[in-house]
Amino acid sequence: MIEILSVTGPASVQDLGRLDQYRFGVGTSGAMDDVALRAGNILLGNDENAAGLEIPMMPFKLRFDRDMAFALTGADVDAEIAGRVIPPWWRSHAGAGDILTIKAMARGARSYLAFSGGIDVPMVLGSRSTQFRGEFGGWHGRPLQPGDVLPCTASTATIGELGVEPAEVTLARPNADPDETLVRVVVAGEYDGFDAATQELFWSSSWKITPQSNRYGYRLQGPAVKPSMPIEKRSHGIVPGVIQIPPNGQPIIQMRDAQTSGGYPKIAAVIRADLWRVGQARLGRMLRFEQTAYADALAAEAEMSAYLDRLRANVGLVEETRTCR
Amino acid sequence: MTAPDRPRISLLGTSALLFEAPGAFDLPHQRRIWALAATASKWPGIREAIPGITNMMLTFETPPREVDTLIAALNDGWDAAEGLAIGGREIRLPVTYGGAIGSQLQSVAEHCGLSIDDVVAIHAAPLYTVFALGSHPGYCYLGGMDPRITMPRRQTPLQRSAGGSVSIGGSQTGVSASPGPSGWHAIGHTTWTFFDPSWPTPAALAPGDTIRFEIEQVIR
Amino acid sequence: MPIELTDIARLAQILERSGVDTIEIEVSGQSLKLVVNTGPRMAASPTLAAPATDHSVIAKADVAGHFLAAHPWRDKPFVARGQRIEAGAIVGLVKIGVLYAPIVAPAAGTVDAVIAETGTMVGYGTPIVRIRPLS
Repeated sequence: MIEILSVTGPASVQDLGRLDQYRFGVGTSGAMDDVALRAGNILLGNDENAAGLEIPMMPFKLRFDRDMAFALTGADVDAEIAGRVIPPWWRSHAGAGDILTIKAMARGARSYLAFSGGIDVPMVLGSRSTQFRGEFGGWHGRPLQPGDVLPCTASTATIGELGVEPAEVTLARPNADPDETLVRVVVAGEYDGFDAATQELFWSSSWKITPQSNRYGYRLQGPAVKPSMPIEKRSHGIVPGVIQIPPNGQPIIQMRDAQTSGGYPKIAAVIRADLWRVGQARLGRMLRFEQTAYADALAAEAEMSAYLDRLRANVGLVEETRTCR
Repeated sequence: MTAPDRPRISLLGTSALLFEAPGAFDLPHQRRIWALAATASKWPGIREAIPGITNMMLTFETPPREVDTLIAALNDGWDAAEGLAIGGREIRLPVTYGGAIGSQLQSVAEHCGLSIDDVVAIHAAPLYTVFALGSHPGYCYLGGMDPRITMPRRQTPLQRSAGGSVSIGGSQTGVSASPGPSGWHAIGHTTWTFFDPSWPTPAALAPGDTIRFEIEQVIR
Repeated sequence: MPIELTDIARLAQILERSGVDTIEIEVSGQSLKLVVNTGPRMAASPTLAAPATDHSVIAKADVAGHFLAAHPWRDKPFVARGQRIEAGAIVGLVKIGVLYAPIVAPAAGTVDAVIAETGTMVGYGTPIVRIRPLS
């Protein structure tokens, strides 16, 4: 078991999401940076869908009540376990009573903690992710609070410390401005409802991530991007990544806790391979969109899968050679 | 551009696709959507086929290599779709119109050039059909609203709207199942339970069910 | 457990699949080094042999790969000359494909010198950091 000692902001239990309940109006939830959660689970030899903690604000502190391996991935944070520094994207081992402290977040927006065996909360509608709107899943359907004691199915077997290369390093975008998150998108249904100059404005602008951005959506600020004629759609399904343009012309990127349907015009949608980059983009920072063809979006997904395959194979190799020794 | 009498099919990134039927926002078109969704949900690579309002979203297990094949199948499927008549249940739902939650009742009346009583009477008159579920857990989109009380969605969506809100957005109406952000105008509220994840089917209502709003109270 | 020929074949296969260049294994006196890609040759182990009177301890790499003095996200290296460290502290990383293996201090003390240069190939036993133990 682990006990939350201190928490800032809405930290929550998340797995890869509740992907097949749209027909009941239930959105996906799940880790905003799914690549980071997968990497943490791979480091521990867990099922990649095992539930971990998503921590969006620091400081954060928890205590282990037994020996347990854990992994810390996602944002670059200043973290310590029992006084030892934990490097980024790292697995380590805690003893009973050890306290894990995360003090500051130097880059990125969300830190992930995975635990050997995963957090053992009940599966609700096929997932352990927290559904905030529906108030179910995760830990009683709510953000974590100090004093919460989360059950883990961890084995107490000791595994050595090991790190993996952060996705942002391996999958770095060429020519990306370090102060901007570059996000690939494919155009969506109402793109043609915007005139050429407005479309150009959408691509060329640097969009500021406003403080109203969260797991529901990223509300952006920049020049007003409005369709040539007002567009009012009948309500239809939407998924994380869809970029809506409400009448004020300020784009909203739908994220993991977004409503499952909407009617605002959609100018584009973030490709699945880049959604984690949005999840790690910080409030107040800038974001830019890059138009991508569907075929290239699939290639980007293949590249992301190849990175995860390499992690799996490399970590697996370490365990195999340990067994051989 | 797509011909006006042909469906519009567009990508929602790499994880889903949207099919929008041509024609009116009415029950016959919605029944064809239900039929198409029942068919498409069985196709390989499709995770779910989710009816919207005379439209349907397909979510992918894995993104299709060839979108054109899928588009052709959807077009053929739409042409072949016979209306699926779902014999649903009828639910009576008491509503308190106006008040703190239904604070937009007055602005809807002003926008439509009607009195508050007219808006309430017009809203409570029809037998509404649940066209689709969406937005948030258990929320039902209803078909059958009188176009006289149409009001465009908000310029900027509200960050938080109360659970049980009875709202109008464009030419649609619905009842929220839990508190959350909304771009619609709340004109009243109800205290019914629409969703419970522990139920065998988590949503109380399904497409094809019908709802009649009963005027419990009007707060001006 | 002696290393069997079939084990070697299997390891070579795993190496090739995972894109790792080199691996070294030591089992009860036997040692085995496999190099799959003929990429950059391993740097010869530096011969900064300490004087016989020196009681220094050496933090060594225990796996082959590229030495990283700092994490790619950090400007500051794990340790610098003159720094006090605890036994078990991470003094650097060995990058093997997408893995970062830690190099740890065998004893508490003061960092005397960071011997290896960041980016160079290191192998099993390559000295990385010299530590003056607490006395």
